[in-house]
Amino acid sequence: MVMIAVFAPVTLGLATLWLPREWIERRMAVAVAGPALAFVLLLSIAVGASDHLGAGKDAHHGDTATAFGSEHLTTGTLNWMPSLNINFAFLTDGLGLFFALLVSGVGVCIFLYARGYFGREGPTSADDLYRFYPTIGFFTTAMLGVVLADYTILTLLFWEMTSISSFLLIGWDRYDKKAVKLAMQAFFTTGLGGMGLFGGVLVFGNATGNIVEGGIWRWSQMLEHSEALQTALLNITNNPQLMWAFVLMFIGAGTKSAQFPFHYWLPGAMAAPTPVSAFLHSATMVKAGVFLVGRLFPVFAALPLFPQLIIPFGAATMLYGGVVALQQHDLKRIFAYTTVSQLGLLMAMYGLGAIDFEFVKDGKTLTAAAIDFDVTQIANHAFYKAPLFIAAGAIGHVLSRDITQLNGAFYKHKAICGTMMAAALGLAAVPGTISFQAKELFLYAVMHAAKVSPWLWIVMGMTIITAVCNVAICVRVWTTLLGLKGGMSEADAPEAHHDHHHEHPHEHGLLANLIWFPGAAIVSLQFLGGLFPGAFWGPIFGGFEQTAATGNYFYKGVPNLWYILTHAFESLPFWISMFCLVAGFFVGRSRLGRGAVKDFADHIYPVMYWLSVTGGGRCFRVVQTGNLKHYLLFVLGAMLLGFGWAVQLDISNGGGMLDAVSIEAARFFEYWPGILIGFIACLTAVLIPTTDSRIVRVVFLGATGFAVVALYLVYQAPDLALTQLMFEIISVILFVIVLRLLPKEKRGRDAGKLWRVPIAVAVGLAFGWMTLVAASNNRGNGAFADDGVTPLVEPSNPHAEPLGVTLAQHSYGLKTDEFGNTKLETAMSEGPDGVSERGGGGTNIVNVILVDFRGFDTLGEICVLGLAAMGVWSMLPHRRRKSDPKREVETDYPQDAIEPPLDDLGQGVTA
Amino acid sequence: MMSSPILRTANGIIFPLTLLFAFYMALKGHNFPGGGFIGGLIAAVALMLFRMSHGRDAMTRLMPIHPRVIVAAGLAIATLTGLFPMIYGPFFSVEQEAMPMLRSFAPYVNLGVGEPVHMPSALFFDLGVLLVVIGVSVGMIVRLGEEIAPDEEEVAQA
Amino acid sequence: MTMVLAICVAVTFAVSIYLMLGRELKGVAMGVFLLGHAANLSIIAMSGSPVQTDAQQQTAEHAGVHLTSVDSPEMKDPPILTNQYANEQPLAQMVDPLPQALILTAIVIGFGVMAFLLTLLVVTNRKARTIEVSDLAEEAREA
Repeated sequence: MVMIAVFAPVTLGLATLWLPREWIERRMAVAVAGPALAFVLLLSIAVGASDHLGAGKDAHHGDTATAFGSEHLTTGTLNWMPSLNINFAFLTDGLGLFFALLVSGVGVCIFLYARGYFGREGPTSADDLYRFYPTIGFFTTAMLGVVLADYTILTLLFWEMTSISSFLLIGWDRYDKKAVKLAMQAFFTTGLGGMGLFGGVLVFGNATGNIVEGGIWRWSQMLEHSEALQTALLNITNNPQLMWAFVLMFIGAGTKSAQFPFHYWLPGAMAAPTPVSAFLHSATMVKAGVFLVGRLFPVFAALPLFPQLIIPFGAATMLYGGVVALQQHDLKRIFAYTTVSQLGLLMAMYGLGAIDFEFVKDGKTLTAAAIDFDVTQIANHAFYKAPLFIAAGAIGHVLSRDITQLNGAFYKHKAICGTMMAAALGLAAVPGTISFQAKELFLYAVMHAAKVSPWLWIVMGMTIITAVCNVAICVRVWTTLLGLKGGMSEADAPEAHHDHHHEHPHEHGLLANLIWFPGAAIVSLQFLGGLFPGAFWGPIFGGFEQTAATGNYFYKGVPNLWYILTHAFESLPFWISMFCLVAGFFVGRSRLGRGAVKDFADHIYPVMYWLSVTGGGRCFRVVQTGNLKHYLLFVLGAMLLGFGWAVQLDISNGGGMLDAVSIEAARFFEYWPGILIGFIACLTAVLIPTTDSRIVRVVFLGATGFAVVALYLVYQAPDLALTQLMFEIISVILFVIVLRLLPKEKRGRDAGKLWRVPIAVAVGLAFGWMTLVAASNNRGNGAFADDGVTPLVEPSNPHAEPLGVTLAQHSYGLKTDEFGNTKLETAMSEGPDGVSERGGGGTNIVNVILVDFRGFDTLGEICVLGLAAMGVWSMLPHRRRKSDPKREVETDYPQDAIEPPLDDLGQGVTA
Repeated sequence: MMSSPILRTANGIIFPLTLLFAFYMALKGHNFPGGGFIGGLIAAVALMLFRMSHGRDAMTRLMPIHPRVIVAAGLAIATLTGLFPMIYGPFFSVEQEAMPMLRSFAPYVNLGVGEPVHMPSALFFDLGVLLVVIGVSVGMIVRLGEEIAPDEEEVAQA
Repeated sequence: MTMVLAICVAVTFAVSIYLMLGRELKGVAMGVFLLGHAANLSIIAMSGSPVQTDAQQQTAEHAGVHLTSVDSPEMKDPPILTNQYANEQPLAQMVDPLPQALILTAIVIGFGVMAFLLTLLVVTNRKARTIEVSDLAEEAREA
């Protein structure tokens, strides 16, 4: 069922491609069905899970850490690559389900909004929507996969898929060079993080080999063994690998969730159409990093580095995003920076949670208060940021996205501006919104953690500044849209250019409302949850009152006024919130930060890009000379170095190689015909370069080949000898033909021959030595090893047969006699009963290996042969003979379709 | 390439014998030295000799199809032989499960006359290999040979 | 015998490298061709010497195999199973078949690669009007 939910959006999205372009509404309906189906399915799972949890509620006291409880349910596995620990299995625990519901729920609204955004009458509307639904469906599936996948590598796979879809969507306008550049920027940055995540997952899997056999490759496994893992993490000096795993995974999370200093890609990503910005770059994809940290939290919170790494990064991002957001003019950029800020806050929350994290007791994870709140915060953010973007895109459509141009816009476009103003209240965390609760909870968490580590009061200060900025932005949005005094006006942007104002045809009718209605729908949740917290969160959390950590401060999610008044210090968050609202109001009215500023971090990517592309290109040009000689020398030099290292290693280890070589040298004269043949082979080979005549060279080449045939015969390889013989004949023919097609040597230019000799001799000696050592090692094996030589590498089983004999053993039953010699079990009895267990039953073991044991390899080999032939045929397309029409009738081979350019032909033909 | 009457006459006898020998080699490969590769290369050499002695047109009459068809046929035979064990169990036999690809088996086929013949599936696989090797080597060499003298025939006949 | 083979490998390798470092691609093609031989020979060397050692001969005598002559070296058998192995002969009398199978594959692949390489040579000569390595490098640099 989860599988259906995950893959429904992309499937239905792709299905829209089969519908005619003109059927905009019908395509929208089909596409929307994707996330809607996912939402319904996931909701049914969630309801089932919470029922299940409700039954055992008493047993899970204080266990509301993740939205639906920490019960993790994995779905059945669909094997994909079991040997690599990559399979399709989904983990529907609270965290995953919560995110998945968010993704699919917001997805429905965005799919509807896209119809409103791209419109109907625009010149490219139909095309845009045609392209949009499959792509966004792909993203939705990828995102659902990230949050629900159980296998770590599967998560990574979906993770990268979200990066790819984000890339496609940012560069939506393929002809806008700037957008494409920004898309690349986002892709590279998140791709870098993806690599970090990949490394982290691999290191984690390998480092946990001592906890679980084979390592941990599933999140559910990780949660199961959280106790052992936490113990390992507390003694991190003994398990440094785990720390690196975390650091690498945090790089992945940090780049994806736009943490400072990698946040620059997110404002850049605003080049995407607004539905994309609202969906990917505020509500869902950027939260993947937060999700990952949340996934890791129950285990990695035990790591001392966890808060130390996350809190500074998160807090810095929060403050930086908040301050820069205040100084932007483009609505989408404003909201992008507030998103950055919010993401920093979400990250920091997990760090704070780790400060007073209690570890596993009696097999139950007792998580800190902060974590409960993060879920609220994530939902809250999606509930106001998505509407803000939706409204920003809408207003940009009808008027302008520049806030200085929007003075008094409310009176022209009431619905759109109303949505935006309502959502801005969420940004400001005005009482009565979920946002308010979330901010309270965050402040509470900071305070709680600061009691443990006092340096966290700094974070409190940063939070206050950020909150003031957010309130100020809200105030400016309100005053500007309402045209009140103190709102933003053109006077604030003296150098602004008003060229990017596209006049969109105004649409009428019911569907035209789709440009604002989805935003309004989402923002209404903000107030629903804010005004009736018990009713809203109840089904999800089972009520806040369960959360022991919040103590008496909250009553059913609402700050308890009586408690606040009587406990001045404990209720500090409330007073801070009030202060922020007031201070923000004044800042918003003031002249502070009205001029648009640039973000200095925008320079990070160009510098990185220059370093990697331009710098890399320069290195490339140094290394890649295009001269075959240089490449060969590189390779050979590296090989010789490696060889020298191996010899040196051997000498320092007692010189086993030399022993082996001397024993082989003593056996030099054991078979004189072999020596003769070897001599012929060497002689003919050496003679090749001594002549300049190409035909003589080919003759010597062939002679060497025939000597090799004889060597194969000495080595008792009749198959090889036969094949080599035929191969030699054909090759000589081939060489003769080709040499006739090539120009003759120009004499007298072959100077500098001599430098090649020492290199060639050195390489030859190295290879000869290696052959000798490797071959003498073989005698360590079983029946072959009766000559008293100690092998260089001790075989694990000294009586083991060589692999080839083992294969024969499989082909026919073999037995060992009283002298320890292997013999065939049964006689080669002909008849139905004599068929071996393996079934092949050939007696030529070489052939049996080729067609049976390594049959797949042989199949691949003949494919390669066919490919080589195809290469030859395509490089030398057949020529049509035009001169003789009579000939054409009985032409030898079918004519090839591709005619080569005529000037390429006939050149170099020296017949 | 020049063609001499002596070579042509001799090849009249040698050519069929060599082809026969190649086929024999391919067939007995499972139990004795030989096999598809060797058989294919021998046949290729025989065809090459024929091409040299009899010329292009005779070659065309002998092999009226492009060698790539032979390659394709060989690959198809080898692949189907490999796939057979996979589909044999599930589709044709109740008690047998699917076997891995290319698992060879050696049924005794009753031809109706005489004793049942031992016919390993590897034989068919080797047959595919044989065809591929023939197609590839003949195709490539004949093609390259044509580059030297595209209109040699006219020269020879003139 | 392994020693002899090692020398052959060394010589063929040296000659092939010498040819490959040469001025013209023709020599390079020949070098690649020889390199194939050298690599195949070094692989077959892994199956050990085909000449039986004294110890192996003694084991064989234990098993009741009649030796033709003490002076002439006794060779192992090719990897083809016969009824002899079932009756008296130990399987150690056989050379290791696995390297042979590997080389058989290598030879045939080598043939395909060789033909492809030579065709490339012909095409290169047509397009670039040269097969001198240094000229081609210059051409690549200009492009």
